[in-house]
Amino acid sequence: MDFNPCYKHQLIRKTVREFAEAQIKPHVADLDKEGRFPEEIVRKMGPLNYFGLQVPKSLGGAGLDSISYAIAIEELSRVSASLGLCVTVHNSVGIYPIMAFGTQAQIERFVPDMAAGRHIGAFCLTEANAGSDAGGVETTARKTDAGYVINGTKIFVTNGGVCDIVLVFAVDEGDKGPANVYILEKTRPGFSVGEIEDLCGMRANPVSSLFFEECEIPETNRLGKPGQGLKIGLTALDTGRIGIAAQALGIAQAAFEDALSYAKERQQFNTPIARFQTIQNYLADMATSIDASRLLLYRAAAAKDGGGPFSAEASMAKLHCAATARTVTDLAVQIHGGYGYSKEYDVERYFRDAKVTQIYEGTSEIQKMVIARHLLTRPS
Amino acid sequence: MVSELPWNSKTGTLKRELAEGMMDPSSRQALEAAVRLAGSAGSDGVTITALSMGPPMAEEVLYQALSLGADRGVLLTDRRMAGADTYLTSFVLAAYIRKYAPDTDLVLCGSQTSDSETAQVGPQLACELDIPAIGWASDIRLSGRTVTVCRHVDDFMETLEMDLPGLITVDQGAFSPAYATLGGVQEAFDTTDAVRILDAAALGLDDGFNALKDSPTRIIDVYSPTTEKENRILKGAAKTVVDQLFKDYGKVISSAMGKDLKTK
Repeated sequence: MDFNPCYKHQLIRKTVREFAEAQIKPHVADLDKEGRFPEEIVRKMGPLNYFGLQVPKSLGGAGLDSISYAIAIEELSRVSASLGLCVTVHNSVGIYPIMAFGTQAQIERFVPDMAAGRHIGAFCLTEANAGSDAGGVETTARKTDAGYVINGTKIFVTNGGVCDIVLVFAVDEGDKGPANVYILEKTRPGFSVGEIEDLCGMRANPVSSLFFEECEIPETNRLGKPGQGLKIGLTALDTGRIGIAAQALGIAQAAFEDALSYAKERQQFNTPIARFQTIQNYLADMATSIDASRLLLYRAAAAKDGGGPFSAEASMAKLHCAATARTVTDLAVQIHGGYGYSKEYDVERYFRDAKVTQIYEGTSEIQKMVIARHLLTRPS
Repeated sequence: MVSELPWNSKTGTLKRELAEGMMDPSSRQALEAAVRLAGSAGSDGVTITALSMGPPMAEEVLYQALSLGADRGVLLTDRRMAGADTYLTSFVLAAYIRKYAPDTDLVLCGSQTSDSETAQVGPQLACELDIPAIGWASDIRLSGRTVTVCRHVDDFMETLEMDLPGLITVDQGAFSPAYATLGGVQEAFDTTDAVRILDAAALGLDDGFNALKDSPTRIIDVYSPTTEKENRILKGAAKTVVDQLFKDYGKVISSAMGKDLKTK
């Protein structure tokens, strides 16, 4: 067992960090304030392979392994959680299900433009009456001679405001069962985007509702075999959880670095506050949680690359990384005192960005359900 | 800044292990110049080799070079190379080129490292190899066996021509490097044996070779220079100009000549 990163993983980290610090960091505070998606930065990231992280080279991607993938998302999110979110959702639940369940023709039709960053992907499952319970989905697909007609409304769609390709989770009309996933281009008549949500954090990501009104798609836009929707959805979410875990870890890492340097600089009672045992305890707890999170995350990523089941590992990583992001950003604000509560310092943004990592891509409660299910069904 | 780096006053060498392992920004610009030249017209079949002398961990830097467009990397590493001054660094680099790459057309170097800032290795390497060199290039064009190089000298732009083989060091303000693609990073590790590691014996250095002992340079102190160069144009009648020159610079000129220039 080797706990040292290899040269490749080190170089992936340095390469992403260099780009993120130079090209994204100077704009992060403004993007958060304005709630603006930085298309100009995304255009620079496309040719550098950020939108095809694990897509094979032959389709225009970087062909990275899952640990490299996690590191890339971690480093992007360390600088901008909103952009980290855009990239991980696009890669893990936008492209990955097409790669894993699509026909060769579908892969060749959709993936190259997505991998180049020309088409941004989104995945929509959540509805007003269906969140953690996918069984409550009310968006329908009606079979026609030419293909399908989609009707329904999806909410809280990450990348919703800028997506070009959407994977839509819908049930068959009439008997309300079984579910399928459909690939829908934004150019289809009947497709429209709702208002951008006014959220607590992730404000540079255009999270929105999507409307489908008699939206016609050809037969060749259904992903996987008939009725395979739930399986595709669950597989996409397992992969997505590695990305969200990495995102949460990146936020925690950023908050920790800021807190550590602030604690060494900030003087109270004529001494840096880092000299106080209380602050040292905070810093020690933060660092330990972050390291534990990182190890869980890389184990889940390695399990995915190993080809075996990784669902429980991904849920554990997501659960722990998200909890770490919450507590570490909380302590980072605490260490900064009043300044930490001000928008003048980045920790205030980390604090807001962190919370949702415990909610989306499966709430922490759902992660525990997944983990417990594995524990109880595993042969003892 | 060199003066900000930890310094071992006993051995007179930098504690480089404390600086994060990274490609020197100046070398990265030289690599960028190489990549652009290789991509320009008439440069088909060009192979770029990234060459470094350093500790074993410098291997990562060579993979970085591959990710940025080099075709292969070579690391010269040996305990006996540790502590080399610029003279012995040039000597070791030259030993590799003579033995393993005698047909090298063009050697591109950064002008100066960000840690030591001597700017000596490039020109000394040209001396070792007995090839012509141009320092501080801001533009390089290749035509057949001739390179045309532009460089800023004081406030002027100089254009020079040099026949290959030759050596060029790249100005710090030029060839700002591109970002590596993530596919490029992956590709750097997909190629087997793209990075070659050679020790002192492989270079044919004799058994007694010891860079720390053999380096003639002894560093006594390190500080940031405080003097600056300036160009001044004196105008007016010849007599006025000469008087002004002696008034302002007479002392400097006489001390340089070792003669008292004071006129009666």
